[in-house]
Amino acid sequence: MTEIQKEIKVRAKDRPQIGVYVCHCGINIAGVVDVVKLKDYALSLPDVVLAREYKFMCSDNGQKMIKDDIEAGLINRVVVAACSPRMHEPTFRLTCKEAGLNQFLFEQANIREHATWVNMQDPEGAYDIAKDHIRMAVAKSRKLIPLQVQKVKVEPSCLIIGAGIAGMNSALDLADEGYKVYLVERSPTIGGHMAQLDKTFPTMDCSACILTPRMVDVARKKNIEIMSYSEVVDVSGYVGNFEVTIMKKPHYVDQEKCTACGACVESCPVTCGNEFDLGMGTRKAIYIPFPQAVPGQYTIDMDKCIKCGICARIDVCEPEAIKYDDKPEYVKVNVGTIIVATGWDLYDPTELVQYGYGRFPNVITGLQMERLLSSFGPVLGKPVRPSDGKAPHTIAFLQCVGSRNFREGGNTYCSRVCCMYATKQARQYKEKHPEAEVYIFYMDIRAFGKGYEEFYESAAENYGIKYIRGRIAEVYGGENDSIIIRAEDTLLQTPIEIEVDMFVLSCGLEARADSDKVSSLLSIQRSADGFFMEAHPKLKPVDTLTDGIFVAGVAQGPKDIPDTVAQAKGAASSAAALMAQGEVEIEPYYSVVIEHLCSGCRSCQSLCPFGAIDFDEFKKIAVVNPALCKGCGTCVSACPSGAMVQNHFANFQLDSIINVALKQPTVENGGK
Amino acid sequence: MSGEKKWRYAFFLGCVAPNRYPMIESSIRAVFDHLGAEILEMEGASCCPAPGVFRAFHIPTWLVIAARNLTIAEDLGVDVITGCNGCYGTLRDAWYELLHEPELKKMVNEHLAKVGRKFKGSIEPKHIVQALYQDMGLDYVKGFVKHKFKDLKVAVHYGCHILKPSDKRPWGGDYENPRFLDEIVEITGAKSIDYKDKFMCCGAGGAVRTAVKEVAADFSREKLVNIRDSGADIIIDCCPFCHLQLDLGQMEANNYYKDIIGEQFKVPVIYLTQLLGLSFGIDPNELGLIKNHELSGVSPFIPIDPFIEKIKEELL
Amino acid sequence: MSDNVEKYIKRKVYKKENSRIAQKFVDAGLEKIRSCINCGTCTGSCPSGRRTAYRTRSAIRKALTGDESVLQDIDIWLCTTCYYCYERCPRNIPVTDMIIKLRNIAVEEGFILDNHFTLANDIFYETGHGVPANGEGNKKWRDLRESYGLPPLPPTVHTHPEALKECQELMKSVGFRDLMDNVAEKKKQERAEQEKEEVKEK
Repeated sequence: MTEIQKEIKVRAKDRPQIGVYVCHCGINIAGVVDVVKLKDYALSLPDVVLAREYKFMCSDNGQKMIKDDIEAGLINRVVVAACSPRMHEPTFRLTCKEAGLNQFLFEQANIREHATWVNMQDPEGAYDIAKDHIRMAVAKSRKLIPLQVQKVKVEPSCLIIGAGIAGMNSALDLADEGYKVYLVERSPTIGGHMAQLDKTFPTMDCSACILTPRMVDVARKKNIEIMSYSEVVDVSGYVGNFEVTIMKKPHYVDQEKCTACGACVESCPVTCGNEFDLGMGTRKAIYIPFPQAVPGQYTIDMDKCIKCGICARIDVCEPEAIKYDDKPEYVKVNVGTIIVATGWDLYDPTELVQYGYGRFPNVITGLQMERLLSSFGPVLGKPVRPSDGKAPHTIAFLQCVGSRNFREGGNTYCSRVCCMYATKQARQYKEKHPEAEVYIFYMDIRAFGKGYEEFYESAAENYGIKYIRGRIAEVYGGENDSIIIRAEDTLLQTPIEIEVDMFVLSCGLEARADSDKVSSLLSIQRSADGFFMEAHPKLKPVDTLTDGIFVAGVAQGPKDIPDTVAQAKGAASSAAALMAQGEVEIEPYYSVVIEHLCSGCRSCQSLCPFGAIDFDEFKKIAVVNPALCKGCGTCVSACPSGAMVQNHFANFQLDSIINVALKQPTVENGGK
Repeated sequence: MSGEKKWRYAFFLGCVAPNRYPMIESSIRAVFDHLGAEILEMEGASCCPAPGVFRAFHIPTWLVIAARNLTIAEDLGVDVITGCNGCYGTLRDAWYELLHEPELKKMVNEHLAKVGRKFKGSIEPKHIVQALYQDMGLDYVKGFVKHKFKDLKVAVHYGCHILKPSDKRPWGGDYENPRFLDEIVEITGAKSIDYKDKFMCCGAGGAVRTAVKEVAADFSREKLVNIRDSGADIIIDCCPFCHLQLDLGQMEANNYYKDIIGEQFKVPVIYLTQLLGLSFGIDPNELGLIKNHELSGVSPFIPIDPFIEKIKEELL
Repeated sequence: MSDNVEKYIKRKVYKKENSRIAQKFVDAGLEKIRSCINCGTCTGSCPSGRRTAYRTRSAIRKALTGDESVLQDIDIWLCTTCYYCYERCPRNIPVTDMIIKLRNIAVEEGFILDNHFTLANDIFYETGHGVPANGEGNKKWRDLRESYGLPPLPPTVHTHPEALKECQELMKSVGFRDLMDNVAEKKKQERAEQEKEEVKEK
């Protein structure tokens, strides 16, 4: 039965009749503490009229117990002592709601994470803590007040930050579902890192060949607005109604006038390293990052430009598109949802001095190797040594560079793609140079994806790539800029020295260097590894803890292209599901002003971090906008006259918890 | 000069410098005095004890005796300097552990109490290189240089324990490719030249020299091949035990490995303060660079005359 | 019996046991050893391993898995404590400290080289120096000191007998004296047994 019945009227002054339900959570709780004793303890608490224990309160049967008791009129408040409210508060609230009880008359005591899990070795201590939690939950339950959920309209549009393969896929799906998409990209072109790759493992299809059609699709879609060379500078508002300010950086080329003839590039006298090629190739100060860039728009790099004026000459640029005085432009858009798809940075191996990156010219990163292998890259797919431009005969790859490293500055996690990209690059090189000797130094080969193990097997069997199990210890320079590698072949238990012509560091992926800025801009969390944190690692993998903001791709954690695309589609689907409802419920935890107590001092207004407090000039009192208020409580503690009350966390409710936490209450003293 | 000197240090001698390479001891005394630092004697100090030897036998003994040595300096109320990487390793590691692990400190002080001592952690153990580079600073030391050795090519040998464990050393975690010692050497005009495996161990430490001399000598052999290939005129080091291994060990390598090294090694090994002292214009006699005895079988084992010859012109 | 039996039959199957040594590591607060992923950075970084049979990772692995033969292995005494393994271990295991601890356990079990025992027992304990300058055999070193204008003996325990006594008292208090005596006893027993075997064989 899912139809919601008429709500049972519970008024604040009605005598509380509390039902306490102690969950076993299998053995998670019951294996450590005596749940029957806990149940009996709960019964001894004031206003508790019944208590039960059950194997899994979250199961259908468990929920039915609660419903039956509510419907039978036995109880008018519910306390479940189980796991974290982050896990099942929504479940039990719905249970209450379905049985006709206001869902805010439910309270959860977390006796699993807070008691039994952390005190497995100390059951008695765990029991005492569980008792404390139940006592506090009951105390709060007695003071709960029914609240009504607010609903706000959802703007049917989405801001996607980052136009790599993740952002593009989310954008395409949302556009096809009829939503307006603002696709913001920091660099001059969409495409992301995937545009830098030559081929993709394990199928060996050409990265550009599968990516560029997508880029063109994105550009063609009417309801996708590409904002390349742009950055999000401000985000305000709330789920369904975000107000976003985007800075469009100046290209110094008038896009309306430019015909993309390329004459400016030919005439530009400045040559510098191309970021897109990671220093393996060059570009001019006026440039497009790569031929298939979308939009195919020229940009002047003002850090490199010497302002000689040649490109602006009429004989060079006939349409007079060069605009040296171009200025940044600020655009404001309203969106209902946001998808963060900001991607990753490659680990910088310079600080691992022992590997010689930056000291020896022929030590390069995996991404640089990718550019060398790329058929439209700086050497047209024929890798050569940076030192002499000759094809290397012997190449060694080293895995886990910067990854699985618990030292300061290292990343502790596995980056998930490096084993396969090194194997792929090794195979590609062997295809071009069958006589070459290629070594891959690894600790564990992680070939977990579909077709990956087979890909690895073939690399060894058909391509003769030599896998050596051992993390390279150090390198030193040999003759002709060769690199001499020292390691242990751990399977032979012997130290080895190998001289190679080129040494490729399979660097891991890490969170963008400016993730902290994005995190504070959007009020989303990061996990210990620096990537953006999902709301739940299993059940909410694309949600963030901020409603209406989703995360896709490597921004959330290292993943390969198939996983990235899958997650991007998931994020689009979640965003669409939210927008399709047209409106969204907001938890009624906002602050309210007790009008006759408010003196109009405006302390709260200046302190509110969310701009949720307005001032009523007529009544001379503060007014809270419930949709903007995040329930942080700053105003409550700032208010000198006690006029601010935060719903569900009112002072009298918190006091009741603190009081029973500090002393053992009994029925005799009335829980005081 | 009257009044207190700007820098005052308790001088921890250790074993090898005073008892086998006294020229190192006298050159440190001469250079620090010249630089205006006062040296206080640590009366009754013992072996540090050696970090790879006695610590390898019994860690608590190592810690307690090290702590005792530190208390002697604590009584003097000044930081300790030592010219030996091994002593530095012991004093600094023990100091670090005692500062960071209250349990260890308690254990150590229970023993020390029996002889009326107490480790307080009130002073810092430093290497003389640390005192020169960080306390005085390169600019200050540079001001004393009188003679510059333009044509002198130096193979700098840091040794291990001045750098590592890097989390207990004052060099900001840099152990793979530091420059501080080269910078000090180069204020004398000498050129520090790069050589293969420059930071490799001399082979003496960790009780290896005592265990199997041939193994220690093979380390030295490898280092000396690399140094010879680099064309260095001399080796400069900052540790008496490395010094012994590179000097006496050079003879041993010449003996054990004569079949594979080709020409016999004969690279003079000079201690840092001997070179510095010369460039400051200190009398070479005070720096232990002039032999005035008829003893045989004493250090240095590899003649340093080629070095003296090389720089004589600059000194005149 | 066929010669080939002796030549080819080894029956060396490793039977997993709980390691007494591993437990000693843990007791000493060095649980980190368990997080070793056997990447070989330590052995690859080891300048000793490039010329000797000492294998850092293998020694640690033996300790961890309970192969106590590592204690009798002279190779663990060929580490010069250069600390490269310590610095580079991606699991942040203080590898060099582990080797030092392993040596401590070896000594406790009576496995110490004669040279090392003499150094610890006869030189360090008796003189307070690892490399002394006192005694008849060291006259030339005292003369050398004097030739450079230094007193024949340094202002250390060498010239402060009361300080030497203090050191010895501390060494007794902390258990060094007992340790050395036990080692001496174990060495004596071992030698006696060896001699017995030799007699038997003859």
